[in-house]
Amino acid sequence: MKKDTLILSFESSCDETSVAVIKNGKEILSNIIATQIKSHQRFGGVVPEVASRHHVEEITKCINLALDEAKVSYNDLNAVAVTYGPGLVGSLLIGIMAAKTVAFAHNLPLIKVNHLAGHIYSANFVTELQYPFMALLVSGGHTELVLVTAPGVFHTLGDTRDDAVGEAYDKIGRVLGINYPAGKKVDQMAAVGKDTFNFPRAMVQEDNLDFSFSGLKSAFINTVHHADQVHEELNKDDLAASFQGAVLDILSNKTFRALKQHPVKQLIVGGGVSANQGLRTRLAAEIKQRNLDMELVFPPLRLCGDNAAMIGAMAQIQYDKGDFAELDLNADPSLDFDME
Amino acid sequence: MKILAFDTSNKPLSVAVVVDGKVLAHLESTEKRTHSVTILPDIKKALEQSDLDINDIDLIAVAKGPGSYTGVRIAVTVAKVLADTLSKKLVGVSSLELLAANGDKAHILVPLMDARNDNAFAGVYQNSRDKFVSIIGDHHTSMEKLFESLKEYNEDQLEFINATPRLQELIQNQFPNSKIITSENSLPDAAKLAQLAETNKPVSDIDDFIPTYLRLTQAEHDWYAKGHKDDGNVSYVEEV
Ligand SMILES: [Zn+2]
Repeated sequence: MKKDTLILSFESSCDETSVAVIKNGKEILSNIIATQIKSHQRFGGVVPEVASRHHVEEITKCINLALDEAKVSYNDLNAVAVTYGPGLVGSLLIGIMAAKTVAFAHNLPLIKVNHLAGHIYSANFVTELQYPFMALLVSGGHTELVLVTAPGVFHTLGDTRDDAVGEAYDKIGRVLGINYPAGKKVDQMAAVGKDTFNFPRAMVQEDNLDFSFSGLKSAFINTVHHADQVHEELNKDDLAASFQGAVLDILSNKTFRALKQHPVKQLIVGGGVSANQGLRTRLAAEIKQRNLDMELVFPPLRLCGDNAAMIGAMAQIQYDKGDFAELDLNADPSLDFDME
Repeated sequence: MKILAFDTSNKPLSVAVVVDGKVLAHLESTEKRTHSVTILPDIKKALEQSDLDINDIDLIAVAKGPGSYTGVRIAVTVAKVLADTLSKKLVGVSSLELLAANGDKAHILVPLMDARNDNAFAGVYQNSRDKFVSIIGDHHTSMEKLFESLKEYNEDQLEFINATPRLQELIQNQFPNSKIITSENSLPDAAKLAQLAETNKPVSDIDDFIPTYLRLTQAEHDWYAKGHKDDGNVSYVEEV
C-alpha cells in the first residue's frame, strides 16, 4: 500500500490568507481561510498594501489553526506548498516567505504552485478527474478556457482580451450601488429580473476562444448614466439580469465552441465566479440540451474562492513528479500557464 | 545564548549568527538584490558557516521597521514564522535603533531614513550604560519639524546617522557643527542587532508581532480623513 502524503499548503495571492493540510491531494484535513473582505470594503476594492499587511497579521495564526484542526504536527508532513503567482506581489510574498521558512525549518521539500492550476484542481475534491478534461476558469482576475491533457499539463485555449469576468461584475456592481465583491448580489438580482436591455455579446460570432467584457461593461454604464441624465428610473433587477444574460451567453458560447473542438468527458468550472447560480444552471441546461455525455463539475462553494486546499491538490501532482522549488523562490505576479 | 539576527528593512541586507557575544557568521550585501529571494539562502549559509543547525538557535532577532514596507515585511514574516514553527524566542528591534548603534555613544544619536520630499523616519537615542534609550520615539516627520525638536540640544552633541546627500545638505544648513554619518557609512549590522536583542524582552505573543510601519497606507489615511472611524467591535479580517 502506498504511504499517505500530507502537504501543508499556503495561499495568499489576494485578500485571503489561507493554510491547509491536504492528504494525498484528495482529502481536506483542514482548510483555514481568513478573509479581509470587510477591510477592503472600506475602500471599495482590494488595496494591495493593506492586503499585504493583513497577511502578516494572520499568517502564524492560520498555520497553527490548520495544524490543530488537521491534528497533525510538523513531523507528520511530507512537503510544503505555496502559490507563487499570479496575484498581487506584496500579498504573494507573505505566503512564499512563510512557506519557505517552514520548509527550511523542518527540512521539507518546497512546491511552488500556480494559483490558476489550483483553482482547476479544486475539482479533485469532488470527482475523479479523467484526462483530457476542459476547465473554465472564471474569477476576479481571470477568464480562461484551459484544456488539461494529463496531470498538471495545461493548454490555454482562450483568455480574456480585457476585463476578467469577476472584475466586470464588480465594476457594474459599483454603478448599481453594490459594494465589492458584487458578484453574489448581482446574481441574486438577475434571478429576479428580466433580460430586457439587450447588451452586446462581444466576440460570440468570432471563431476564436477569447473573451471580452469591456464592451458589455461600457454599454451597461452608458445605459445607466443616460437614464440618470434624463431622470429615468431603470429597474435594477432587469439591469442585473441583462448584464448576467450577456455574460452567460459569452461564457457558454465560447465554452461549447471549445468543447466542440476538443470533446472531453468532463467540464470543470473553477474560480470565484463559479459560485454564480446563474452560471451553474446555464451550463447544466446547455449540456442537457446538446445531449452531451459529459460530467459538469463545480467546486463546493467554500472552494470557489481562493483557498489553500486547492493549492494542496495541485501540489500533490508536483510532489509525485518530484517537481520541487528552492529557497530562492520568488513571486511571479503575472504567471500564466504558457509562461512556465 | 545563540542568536540568529537579520535585517532587510532597506536596500542593504545583513544576517549574523552570534553565540555568547561572539560573531560566528556575518553576511552583508549592499547590492540591489531581492531580499525575498536571498534572505533564506543567506540564513542557511550563515548557519553553515557557524557550524550550527537552525534548531540550535535560542533566539531570533529581527529589525522590525520602519523602512521599506516590503522589506520589513519580508524580515518580520521570516522571523515570526521561524520563531513560531520552532518555538524559539523572538525579539524585534527598531530598525532606527539598529542604525543608532553605528553612532558614537557619547553623542545624541539621530538615525534617519530618507522618506522623500524632505521627510524622514527618525528617532532620537542616547546611550546610557551600553543601552540605547529612546529620547524621542521613532516617527515619520518633515526634516523641518525634526530640526525644531532638536534645537534644545547642543549642536556639537548631535550625530545624524544614515543621511542621504539631500538630508546631509539640509542638516548642514541647520546644524553646521553637528556630526553626520552618510548612508554608505552606516549600514545596518545584524551582529549589532543580536547584541541589542539580548537586552530586549522577547515578544510575548508571536501571532501579534507585526512590522512597525509608522505610517498608514494612503487608502487608510484618506478613509480616516473623510471622518470614518473604526468601530471597536469590527474585526477587518475574519476566519470563514
Ligand atoms: Zn483565485
